[in-house]
Amino acid sequence: MAVGPEVYRAVGESDELSSGDVAFLSLARTRLVGETPPGETYDPMGRIPAYPRPALLPLPHGREVAVDTMFALVVTHSCEIDRQKNLDASADHVDCRLTVAPIVPEPAVHLVGSNGDDQAVNWAAIEANEPVASLFLPPIPDVSMLASGVDALPWPRSFADLRGLVTVSRGMVEADRLFGLAPDYLGTLQRQLARFFTWRDLARHELVEALVGRRVVDAIPLNARGDRLRVALTTDDGSSVTVELRAK
Amino acid sequence: MTRLATILDERNLTYTAVATRAHLQPRTVRQLATGETPIDNVAVGTVRRIASALSVPVTAILEPDVPHPGDATLSRVARLSAAIRELMWSGEPVAHASPVDSREADDMATLPADEFFADMPAVDGRRA
Repeated sequence: MAVGPEVYRAVGESDELSSGDVAFLSLARTRLVGETPPGETYDPMGRIPAYPRPALLPLPHGREVAVDTMFALVVTHSCEIDRQKNLDASADHVDCRLTVAPIVPEPAVHLVGSNGDDQAVNWAAIEANEPVASLFLPPIPDVSMLASGVDALPWPRSFADLRGLVTVSRGMVEADRLFGLAPDYLGTLQRQLARFFTWRDLARHELVEALVGRRVVDAIPLNARGDRLRVALTTDDGSSVTVELRAK
Repeated sequence: MTRLATILDERNLTYTAVATRAHLQPRTVRQLATGETPIDNVAVGTVRRIASALSVPVTAILEPDVPHPGDATLSRVARLSAAIRELMWSGEPVAHASPVDSREADDMATLPADEFFADMPAVDGRRA
């Protein structure tokens, strides 16, 4: 299980930007006016209540921008950040944006499933980084240990929610960085990103059935464990599924 | 939930009941209570009338002042301290869609990062 001091590192104001930096940011979500999350449990206006202080900016043609002010985690890989800097396209380059994931703190939410059922018990799964869409951020007894000058406040148990990825200006991250992830835990972030963007659970039977008659054009071994090998198959119509092969 | 909505909820008051007492449109009260219209964005007189109708001080229905990123009136550490205090420890928990979509975790969830990426060079080599 991840433990606070092993997960975080202090970040100085003048330090280079890095994957895993945590900063206080304004995040924008564009959407159609009136879009709402599924179910009656959620805010009927389509805001994400766990994101504090949502503000709406109306756009023409039935569009709007929802703005949330909150802490977020930089997920852009440090190599990409460095590459932009090395290309001399960093500070004032308008398109050198960083991808960040909003941070959802435990005190602000009670987790619910798609049908509204309470899933508070699932914090244990989040803590073990079992979901593909989250990175657990353990609590910190005193943030000032990592961020010099900041008040001696605790940081609650929380997770970076990869479902809400947005891009922000590099300058905004530099201005309000709090701390960063330690190198060891960056590996876990990268694993979660790989899982989130590429991995889904084993295909359901009907999906496999639907591929009958198609030609397999690529097969990528994902991992082997014991007598099982998981393979991602891509077919000639662009479909892909993950299947599990057993030796016995 | 806004402070106004909390008061209405505690007293079991409808938007219409408050609007009637405050001589406002029920829609105005609803928009303020739901946060659709931030209470900072309406005339002071409107806020005073609602507070008066509820017999509470104006400050009781104003939302707490929370910091903004890049606020030059605060030092960086003061901004960050206020943000932790106000945003990470907010009062009433609200529903949030759980990222857990299956009760049974896949094997990869428990793989250490280095083991997880062990096969990656082969994939990259194929692309090259």
